Amino acid sequence: MKHLPRTCALTAAAVTMLSLAACSTTDPNASGEGGGGEGDVTTGSGVTDSEITVGMLTDLSGPFAAGAAVQVTQTNAYWDQVNADGGVCDRDVVVDVQDHGYDPQRAVTLYRSMAPDVIALQQVLGGPTSAAVLPLAEQDDVYVGGVGWTGSALQYENNQLPGASYAIEAANAVDYLVDELGVPEGGRIGVVYFAGDYGGDALAGAEHAAEERGVEIVAQEITSQTTDLSAQASALVQADVAGVVLAAAPTQLASLAGVLATQGADVPIVGMNPTFNPSLLGSPVADALVANAYSITSVAPYASDAPGVQAANELYASVAPDGDVGWEVPLAYVQGELLRQALEGACEAGELTPEGVVAALQESSSVDTDGLLPDGLDYSQPGQSPTTTVYVSKVGAAAEAGLALLEEFSGPSAESFSYGG
Amino acid sequence: MSYFLTQVLNGLSYGLVLSLIAAGFAIVFTSTGVLNFAHGSIVLLGAYLVAVLHPTIGFWPAMLVALFGAALVGVLINALLVRNLADPEPGAAAILMLGVDIVLLTELTRRIGNQVLPVGAPWGASVVRFGDIALPTGRVVAAGVTVVAFAALWYLFSRTDLGVGMRAAAADGPTASLMGIRLSRTAATGWALAGVLAAVAGVFLTSFPSPGVAPTIALSAFAAIPAWVLGGFDSVPGAVVGGLLIGLTSALVTGYEGDLEHVLGAGFGEVAPYVVMIVVLLVRPSGLMGSKEAVRV
Repeated sequence: MKHLPRTCALTAAAVTMLSLAACSTTDPNASGEGGGGEGDVTTGSGVTDSEITVGMLTDLSGPFAAGAAVQVTQTNAYWDQVNADGGVCDRDVVVDVQDHGYDPQRAVTLYRSMAPDVIALQQVLGGPTSAAVLPLAEQDDVYVGGVGWTGSALQYENNQLPGASYAIEAANAVDYLVDELGVPEGGRIGVVYFAGDYGGDALAGAEHAAEERGVEIVAQEITSQTTDLSAQASALVQADVAGVVLAAAPTQLASLAGVLATQGADVPIVGMNPTFNPSLLGSPVADALVANAYSITSVAPYASDAPGVQAANELYASVAPDGDVGWEVPLAYVQGELLRQALEGACEAGELTPEGVVAALQESSSVDTDGLLPDGLDYSQPGQSPTTTVYVSKVGAAAEAGLALLEEFSGPSAESFSYGG
Repeated sequence: MSYFLTQVLNGLSYGLVLSLIAAGFAIVFTSTGVLNFAHGSIVLLGAYLVAVLHPTIGFWPAMLVALFGAALVGVLINALLVRNLADPEPGAAAILMLGVDIVLLTELTRRIGNQVLPVGAPWGASVVRFGDIALPTGRVVAAGVTVVAFAALWYLFSRTDLGVGMRAAAADGPTASLMGIRLSRTAATGWALAGVLAAVAGVFLTSFPSPGVAPTIALSAFAAIPAWVLGGFDSVPGAVVGGLLIGLTSALVTGYEGDLEHVLGAGFGEVAPYVVMIVVLLVRPSGLMGSKEAVRV
């Protein structure tokens, strides 16, 4: 009896999850017709004389549903705006949004059914889901964007990272702690990170930077279930760290900042892209966050005054006046922008096909996005981060979406970091 | 030394919260024989109710509503789903509970969105200092409440007809039924008690040093599973000891990770509870305090 229930339970979990994750929205206008062509442009999957269909595999029913919904809204608004301005290659762009529910198997199934009808995938949201789809899409020579910032995704030449990878973010975090936040040479920096490719990538960057800058890393591995970081914080205080790099989620940032504050450790905490959420400013540890929390992001924060970010924010406000604001708003916009540039590159080369889009991506060595991402993104070096520049922000109660942009930053260790090097 | 004591207190105070959750698992298992995989969602539900209600009605009334709400959901799950199972086999019930967990969790995730909702506990982020050692006030309150809760449970199970009836029903349902004990009543009581414990644990899990209610809390509740299993599936005292043991192990292994890393590898603090569980089960296959009959059925 002791083993049976658990075996049954696991089977049941799998079956139930598969059967529940069944909500999807297919654009009725999406067309499977390929071939043909207009003028001297060769066309392929997902392209008709009047429309280009791009895919989006996202999580509308799983753990990231709320942020994903913001991105879907913004993505649709972005392409509506592009279409109103004349479209791409004289065609309207339509988005086929499908919900994988954060289930890799379902993501693969959806990819298989979607691939013949789309020219590119603007986004495959989620680490495990994108890890399942990327190799298939690479075999099919299909562009994939918006898979997050893990270094492991860089090995796929069909993938377009929206800005610096996590290793670059973390190397910059160490550089920033040393250069601007007073960590002395020979001092210690705590790195608290999620087990897995996100945290592992960040740790690799931080370790590289620590070696370059002559500081010592005190690493603490956690999982997303670790919501009370008392033990970790006590260990960091005991090790007398002068700063902390955090590659986790908002819950962990708040817990760590709160406990460090109560233990009298007044040290800066620099979080990676997904570690901050404006709702933390309503929690009891808001003061500790405002005092010591920084955020390093690959995409410009919501509060940036760059023209691209302003355009993204205004567009979102026009379609979702009461919607949640946060880093998803500029992110979704810039993912659309990156794909639009790749589609236009393919159109100019006369190859409006999945392969043509990937080729256009690989030839782009200096992509600008009006300040949404650092200028001069280089996608012609497969396996390496397209930039070493990140955005450093300070958590602030008065800032829009809780993050006030301090500066664009590219530290020496981030510049000397290379994957596989 | 004060560092060691800090980590011991961190571990024990977190362990007490885990033991509240583990006791909920154990009580449902003893009263209805169900492996309640929906317990994590009920923990989240309790905390969620407090988080959404406290701005309007205040923390303590919200807490009261959450206790009733979580108990009611437990009772309803039992009355509408578990009792109506055609096949009372534990495997079927466990599968059913996984389904309930997914439904509850999906709905709560949808409602919470990507917010982190504070529960508005009156102790906020304050700490209590014992010499050099600072412990969050919330954890001190949790320790007090947990001790009171377990004292009340002990009284219930050993001194009241209802509690003795529940133990009899757990030991041998058909015989207890023939002796005049209403199994439906003992079962409903068990589910309600588990719901109450879940709601209390949910509030302590989401107040400082945690920032508030996020869907991952339902997963954090599963950290109590090793405590439940190593205590013995059907033992409330076992769940308490198990919770303390797991809390202490995680805190000490995490706290001394720097010294242990070369032997055990990075991140061992996350694995340690399961290692302890396996070691205990190898030595005592029915857990620290589990009854042997319960695992031989």
